[in-house]
Order: sequence, then C-alpha cells, then structure tokens
Amino acid sequence: MSFSRKAKGISTTAIVVLLVLLVVGGGLYWYLTLPPPGPVYKDTLIWGTTDSVENTLDPSQAYDFFGWCIIQQTGLTLVEIRPGSEAGPEDIIPALATDWTVSDDMMTWTFNLRQGVEFEDGTEVTADDVKYSFDRAYVIYDETSFQVGMGTFEVLIDSVEVTDTYQVVFHLMVPCAYFLQYVACQAFAVVNPEYAAYDSLTEYVAGDARASYATDCGRYKLTKWERVAGKDVEMRLEANPNYWNADEEPKTKNIIIKMYTDPTALRLALEAGDVDIAFRHLTATDILDLQDNPAVKVWGGKGAAIQYMIFQEHMPPFDDARARRALAAALDREAVCTTVFLGQAKPLYSIIPEGMLGHTEAFKALGDANVELTRSLLAELGYDEDNKLAVDLWYESSGHYPQSPEQALMYKEAFEASGVIEVTLYAADWPSYRANRNAEIMEVYIYGWYPDYIDPDNYAWLYFASWLHHNYIETANGQAMEALWAQAGSAPAADRPGLYAQIDDLAVQDCPVVPIFSITPYAVTKPNVGGVVMDITQSWRLWLIYATVG
Amino acid sequence: METERGLRTRMLPGLTVLTGRGLAGWMVIVGLAIVLSIVVMTLISPWISPYDPSALNVGPLRSPPNGEFPMGTNHMGQDMLSRVLCGGSIMIHVAVLSVLFCLTIGVPIGLLSSYVGGSLDKMCSLIMDSIYAFPGMVLAITISAMLGRGVVNMALSIAVVYIPSYFRIVRSHVLTIKELPYTVAARSIGAKGDTILFRYILPNVVPSIVSVATVNFADAILTAAGLTFVGLGVTKDIPDWGWDLTDGRTLLPSGAWWVITFPGIMIVLLALGFTLIGEGLSELLNPRLEQ
Amino acid sequence: MGLRSYIATRALLTIPMIMLLLSFVFLIVRVLPGDPVLLHFEKAASPETIELMRQRLGLDKPLLDQYFEYLVGLTQGDLGKSMQDFSPVGQQIFSGFPATLELTIYAMIIAVGLGIFLGVRSSQSYNSLQDHSIRIFGIVMYAIPIFFLGMIFQMIFGVFLRWLPTGGRIYPGMEPHGLKIGDLHISTGLYTIDSLLEGNVFKFVQALRYLFLPSLTLGLVLCGVFIRLTRSNMLETLRLDFVTAARARGLKEKTVLYGYAFRNAFLPVLTMMGLQFAVLLGGAILTESTFSWPGLGRYLVDRINFRDYTAIQGDVVFFGILVAMVSLVVDVLYAYLDPRIRL
Repeated sequence: MSFSRKAKGISTTAIVVLLVLLVVGGGLYWYLTLPPPGPVYKDTLIWGTTDSVENTLDPSQAYDFFGWCIIQQTGLTLVEIRPGSEAGPEDIIPALATDWTVSDDMMTWTFNLRQGVEFEDGTEVTADDVKYSFDRAYVIYDETSFQVGMGTFEVLIDSVEVTDTYQVVFHLMVPCAYFLQYVACQAFAVVNPEYAAYDSLTEYVAGDARASYATDCGRYKLTKWERVAGKDVEMRLEANPNYWNADEEPKTKNIIIKMYTDPTALRLALEAGDVDIAFRHLTATDILDLQDNPAVKVWGGKGAAIQYMIFQEHMPPFDDARARRALAAALDREAVCTTVFLGQAKPLYSIIPEGMLGHTEAFKALGDANVELTRSLLAELGYDEDNKLAVDLWYESSGHYPQSPEQALMYKEAFEASGVIEVTLYAADWPSYRANRNAEIMEVYIYGWYPDYIDPDNYAWLYFASWLHHNYIETANGQAMEALWAQAGSAPAADRPGLYAQIDDLAVQDCPVVPIFSITPYAVTKPNVGGVVMDITQSWRLWLIYATVG
Repeated sequence: METERGLRTRMLPGLTVLTGRGLAGWMVIVGLAIVLSIVVMTLISPWISPYDPSALNVGPLRSPPNGEFPMGTNHMGQDMLSRVLCGGSIMIHVAVLSVLFCLTIGVPIGLLSSYVGGSLDKMCSLIMDSIYAFPGMVLAITISAMLGRGVVNMALSIAVVYIPSYFRIVRSHVLTIKELPYTVAARSIGAKGDTILFRYILPNVVPSIVSVATVNFADAILTAAGLTFVGLGVTKDIPDWGWDLTDGRTLLPSGAWWVITFPGIMIVLLALGFTLIGEGLSELLNPRLEQ
Repeated sequence: MGLRSYIATRALLTIPMIMLLLSFVFLIVRVLPGDPVLLHFEKAASPETIELMRQRLGLDKPLLDQYFEYLVGLTQGDLGKSMQDFSPVGQQIFSGFPATLELTIYAMIIAVGLGIFLGVRSSQSYNSLQDHSIRIFGIVMYAIPIFFLGMIFQMIFGVFLRWLPTGGRIYPGMEPHGLKIGDLHISTGLYTIDSLLEGNVFKFVQALRYLFLPSLTLGLVLCGVFIRLTRSNMLETLRLDFVTAARARGLKEKTVLYGYAFRNAFLPVLTMMGLQFAVLLGGAILTESTFSWPGLGRYLVDRINFRDYTAIQGDVVFFGILVAMVSLVVDVLYAYLDPRIRL
C-alpha cells in the first residue's frame, strides 16, 4: 500500500519536474532565438515652421524653398543626391531612374526608369509621364510665373524623347557637365497627368489636398493643406503605401506641419513641447541659447545659402569699378558673422560657398574692413571727408532674408567707418523689394541666393544674371568671365574648379556682386528625434527622420 | 519788487486748484510730472546718454545690466540705457504731430459743421461716425502702408483715427451751447457767427478738447509701437522704443529680459502719464462725485 | 418714435455709412506706393506682358468703371478676387473670420466680466486703496503692449508650467466639425460651439485650452475701459434718490447694489461693448500674431505687402460692415431698453 503511494508521489513529482524543465527549456530556447528587438518609431511627428508655400506645388511654377521641400516629400525626380554626401558627381543615386548614360559630347542623356513605380492612384510611372512633365512646363510657361525651370529649359533642353516604355532621352542644346545635378532638383519632379492638366497649373484647392498637387509617386501623400485667410496653417503628410521602397521609407508614417507666425512663436512652441521638430526659422540667438538646453537637440548643417551685395551700375559712381571695389573693401564680414549671426554664418570670399568645388578666397584680395583701400579708391573719384560719398543702402524688411535690418546696420557702420561714406538706409517688404530690383532703383542692396541645384554653375551664374544689369559684361573682363563660365559648364570634372577660380579672380577686379557670407542652416528637435540629415544639398528629407519611443 | 514770498503766493493758488480737488487733481499732477520728466529726458538725451544709441558693439552682446551698462546691451551690442534715453523721441514726435493734425483738422470741422448745422452737419457726422466706429489699428495700418514710412506719415495715420473723437466732443458742446439763452441772446443782438464761435463756444470746449488730446497722446504712443511691431515704423538705424520692444520680444525666451523691460516700462509710464492727466482732467471738468 | 421706426432709420443710415467707407477705401488703396502689377513678376517683364497682367487684374479700365464694377460685385456678395493668386477674397476672409470672431467674443467676455466685477468693487470702496489699485491696474493693463503680455503668459503657462499650449487653435486633427445628421451639416466655425454641437466634450475642453491665453491677453488689455465705465456709472447711480430710498427701506446692500444700481449702470456698458468690439478687432491683429492664431489678424498686413487692392478693399469693407452691424444691434438693444433715446 505505501509502496504504490510512494511510487505515485515520485512519478507526479517527476512529471512536474519534467514539465517545468520542458517549459523553461522551451522558453529559453524561444527567447534565445528571438530576433533582436528593432527600434520602435513614433507614428506621428509634428514639424513646426514659419515657412509656407509661396504659390503652388506645381513643379513648373514653384520656386520657393518650402514649395520645393513639399514636392520633394511627395514626388520623385529621376535621380537624387546621396544623403550626407558632398554632392559630387559620384554622389548621384538612382531614384525614379535606375541607371543612365551620357554621350561623349555631354548633349544626350539617356535614363532607364525603374519599373513598377506607381503614382498614388496605382497607375505606373512610365517614360511618357516623364516627357509629359517636361513638355507641359513649356506650355504652361508664361512670363508672369516665378519659374526657374523654364528659364533653364529654354536654353538647355532641346527635346525629351521616349525611346521605350521605361527609357527616356534628353537632348540638350549645349553640353552640360552638371546635368545630373540639375535633374535632381525639384523643378524636374515628375507629375501625375491625372492631376496636372497639360495647359494649366495645379493650384491650391481649399479643402481638397489631393487636387492641390500632382507630384505623387514619392514617399508621402499630402492629405491635408489648410489655408486660412490666404496663409498656410497646417499640412499633413502620410506614408504612401504605393511608394516603390515603402518598406524602408518613410521612417515616420505621419508628419504634421504646423505653421507659426514668427521665430519667437516657434521657439516657444518647441520649448513647450508643442512640436517635435523646429526647422526654418529660428533666430541666431535662439539657436545659441538652445544649444545649452538639454531638453532639445540642435542639428547644424552645411551652408549653401549665401548673401551678397549688389550695385546698381547705371547709378554713378557705381558705374565705375573703383567705387564698387571701395565699398567691397570696406565690408567687415567677420563682424557681421559674429555680431548678427553669432558664428552661425561664415564669411564668404567667393561666389561659390565652401564645400563646393570651385570655392576660393578670391575676394580676400580686397580685404575686410580695409578702410585704407576704400579711402584711396574713393579719393581717386574725388570723395573725401569733406565730400562724402552718399550711398542709399536698401534692405528687405519682411523677413525674407535672415535678420536683414541688423545686417544693414552692420554694413552702414562698416561703410561709415571709412570716414568718407555716408549711408542712408531704405527698407522695402519682399514683393516691393523684388519689384524694385527689377526696376533697378536700389543703389546698393543686399540680396540672397539659395541653390536651385548643387553645382558651382548655379552660383557663378549670379555674375551674369540678367536682372542684375551689368555693364561690365561689355568690358573685356566681363567677356572673359562669360567665356570661362560657358566653358566651365561643360568641361571635364577635373578642370572645372580651376575655371571657376579664374572667374572669381576676374570678378574681384570688377566687383559686380560682392559675396558676403554663407548661412549655416539649423534644425532643433526633441532629444528622441534622429535621422536628421543636413548636407550641402539643403534638402530636408523628412522620410529619413524618426523619433524613438520610450 | 517781487519778493520770493510774493511769487510763491502767486504760484500756489494754481497748484491748490489741483491739489484741492482730491484724487482727480493728484492724478493730473502725477501724470504731468511723469510726462514732463520723460519729455525732458528725451530732449536732453543727446547730451546725457553715455553712448551713441545707434553705435553697434559698444559692449558685449546681450550683456545683463551691470556697472558699465546699467540697463545692459542688446543683441547688437548697443547700450540699452542710451537707447532708453533717446528712444522716446520718435514716439513723442509722432504723438505730438498727430495731436496737432487732429486739432487743426478735427476741431475746426467740428465747430463749423455743428454750428452751421443742416445737411453739412449731417454729412460730416456720417463720415466721422464711420471712421469712429472703425477698428483704429486696421485703419492706421492701412493708411500707414499707403503713405510709407516716416514720422509724419505715422502721425497722419493715427490722426485720421482720432479726428472723429475731437469732432464728436466739439460737436456735442456746440450743440448744447448753441441753444443756451445767452448765446441766443447774443445772436439776437446781432453778434456774428465767428464771434459767437470764438468768444462763447470755443472757451467752453477747450477743456474737453484737452481731455481728448491726452487720450489721443496715449493711444498714439501705443499705436506707434504697434505699427513698428508690424513693420511699418522707421528704419532700424533710428533708436526707437518700438524697435526695442520688437527685438526684445525675440530675445526674451533666451533670458535677455532687460531689452524689452526697460523700454516697455518707459512706454507704459508715458501712456500712463497721459492717461492719468486725461482721466483726472475729465473728472475735474465733470465733477459728480463729491462724497 | 416707435421702436420699429427707430430700427428702420438706424438701419437705413448704415447704408450710406458703408458706401462712404467703401469709396474711401477704394480711392485710398490706389494711393499705395508701388505698382501692384509689377509685383507679380519674378524678372523684369516686357511691356506687353505687363499690359496683359494689368488687364488680368482689371486695372486697365478707367477708375470709374472699376468702381462701379466693384459696387455691383459687392451687392451680389462678391468681394472680388485677390490680385495675388486670383482666389476669391470673400472665401479667404470667411475662412479666417470664425477664428477671429471666437477670439473676440471670449476676449470680450473676459474684459466685460472682469471689468464689471472690478468696477463694482472699486465703486463700493470709493477712494480706498482698493479703488485706486483697481483703477491703476486698468490703466496699466491698457498701456502694456499686447505682444509683451501675451509672451509673458506663453512663457509662464506654456514653457515653464506646460499647462497650456503656446500657439494654434487646437491640436492638429482635432478640429470639431459641428453637427452632422445625414446630409445636414451645421457648423459655426467657432470651435467651442462646434465641439458642443458634435457632442464631444474632449474637443470642447481642448478648444478652450487653446483659446484661454489669447483671449485672456486681449481681454485683460481692454478690461480697463469697462472698469472705468462701470465704476463711474455705479458711483453715479448709487447716489441717486431711488437707491437712497431703497437703502432707507432697509434692503440689503447686495440687493441694492445688484438689483437696482447695477441695472442702470449696465446700459452704458452695453453701448461700450459695441464700441469696444472695434477696438478688440484691432487688438486681435497683434494677439493673433503672438499666438499664431489662424484668423484674419495678419491678413491685412500681408495683403498690403502684396499691394493686393481687392483684398485690402474687401477686408476693410468687411470690417466696416461688421462694425456697423454690431453698432446697429447695440443701438437697437439700447433703444429697446431705454425708450428715452428714441426721441
């Protein structure tokens, strides 16, 4: 009797032990073979900004930074520039096109398209759509639109040819060494014919975000675009499930873009935790201050936006290169970068910013705050302490450029430090400023430039921009500069830096425009945000940004 | 020969007029004191300010108040004390000019219109009522943008907003006095229109006009600050409290409280001063509370 | 005269007032320095293109024609097309108006509520420290620049305490859409009301949270006017015979105060509310800027930057009509409550 009971007891224990071992062993095995947990990303991020779409999101008309930014989130170009790179020739990566070839004379560019790329509605993107996008820009173009693409298409692209369902060929009018950089810019985004009529712009439609844009084969869909009383208030991007690389991108499924009235309101919102990301614009003081704040993370980028000074050459004495050189010599770039931008801008002595090939220090030849040179040059023209040169200096007053009033104060002080110049300040809001520029009534004024595409050509072009009305182009120097520029546009990669350097050297002698500084862009985010890439392309790639949870 | 005592007995009655009237009188005195000291300060500022208020980088950027810079420096290294001393000039100019415009336009129109009466009066009242009811800031912004920058234009845009107030107060007095027995009597013995206007009516209207003018001053200062904030003020190189407010606002989240505070206090004080005078005067003129 | 004829007369008077305003603005706007046509071009354009744009904007016609076209359009409720992007001005204004209206209403509630409360207290303790402090408070509040006060609140309640948001009208995605029954859709554009119509208390609370700081700022700045008015009217009324009589009859002070004196003091407050409405609209410009409140606030300034004649005209006319209507309502209400003024 006791034996059987004992036996039973032992077997029960044994069974229990066995079971426990099995369970534990199984659990251990399962745990050990689990894939390592990936980072958990937040579903929605809020990006606060003071920017807004200037006109439309139609690539054939849009020309503002923010407009291009949105087009880049929702659309695709044939190629893109590798994030975080130097944007050199080897940094061009496939996007809508998988590979490409160029003829020896750099005038025929053939692109093979990726197959299976779909627009938002599921229709496939083919070479016909690419041709449609470019031909359409010609039809829509009218002189009243703010169009960069058109100005270039006219003189660069002869025709676009569809040679196969997935192959498109660009025939150029002139050889172009930087055509790929060009193709990577947002004027070349491909439109969905369903939402982009052939002969009219795709404009903002209140309450219907879908009808308000046509570039829709990219990472995001635009699901909301709210304008109140003519001002953008909120936009919403949602992951596009039909994107060809939807598994990898975007990292954050929903982005809400909230517009704030000015940098201070944005800063307060950031500090209160109302937004996850603050980008464009915060003042230099805010950036400096936030760098010490452990509750936020400050990201700095590479400067490609530049500011320069322009002289109205049909207003004497600025028709004389000596007057222009005199003022250029009086400029104190270091002071401006330190006082106004607290080190967040870099003095620029070349029309091409640092980090791009062709960058030089040419304008150092005139010096900084070089009042002796200023005085001697102006003395040659008959100006001295008793007969001061009266200068009308214009600046932009509605915030289009960063801290223009403060810049103007610095330039005024620098010019007057020479003792032979007297400055009167004038201000105009951005639309008037631009109209004044066209009407050529501003004697000396501050202007800025954002790259359309990442290539020194886009900067050297500034010396020859038609709206700057340069007399010097008729001079021997000017002719030489122009010849060099044309040459540089199609030279082999190795030769180009040298050619641009020569252009800069010649420019210093005439000073048609005087580069002053390049601005370093900054973004500020909550500490758990990552993936912010701020490279020389100035592209704001939302699809790489994420925020970790917990 | 005037003795000192004699002089004092001559001044004191004037002062007693005010001090003897209780709180209202004191309000006027305090208000006057505030306004006069600020105006004097602004007038002598070129001689007493330690630095040129527009000079950049006289000190380290955004330096807190200390021995060298009692009110600190702003983001361009400008001395705040100098800017506070000199910065009222633009606002005071604008305020004074706008009051002058109002007086030269609003008062005569009011007198004429209400005295003559009839359809002229109806039309003027209509116009003035439309402007009066309108949001002042909106009108000031529109007109200021129209005319462009500058002290005179700012003053004009503010004046337009305020003329109706003068018109109304003048008109209400004229309508009352017009029917009073002694005016009627004067007319019946052949007194001419302008005699009546200037000898009978105007002296009675003046106190109320002064009252409106003080409120006008206070409002002009605040509107001028608002216009600068919105971007319609003078260029950046002219020291102005409005600019300091605008810049100070941007600097406040970074902890630089002194840039907005000191000019802000000055503006509040100046507006306060005028308002005290105005309120005190209107109480003195319409006494009703003799408890 | 009877109430009806009074209303009729007042209403009729409103029309010439608005006409005058219209014409005034029409002329004034064309005095703006800078040719609006030229602002449309990125680069200097050819004379033909400029002429084309001028035609497109309707600026090539003689002034008188433009004027009449505008008037005709107005009678049909068409405020014209913006000269910047050719979208209807009416649509732009009405998209921004509800937000500004909501802000103005709540600011008025705070201004009047606080003003009356403090004004009564002030009159009760005539000539005391409390009286003086309250009066000084009212005056100082008016003199403080709105954006300064607003920013102090943003920093305290938003950044430091994190109790309230610093900007915007509501959390993205939470906009109340009002009452939806089948095809019927009623929404006022006022988030507080729409959320209640929707039956969503959470949204209601959120709407209030975002409304609180901006309306507090604007309301505080303007409460001084109501303090002063209430105080002086209360003081006057409290001296009157019927009040003394009521006191003599032994009625409690509270009843005397609120039952008798207050009612009489309130009438001028009503008129003042109508007048201050215009002031609030003006103050809303700076408040909306400070709090990134998406209303009509910066609309005018932005349109001026673009020399957008039609939009500026439309905006000013809109304000004019709005203010005229409010004055009309206030006057009628006053006439209803106080027959004496109808004479």
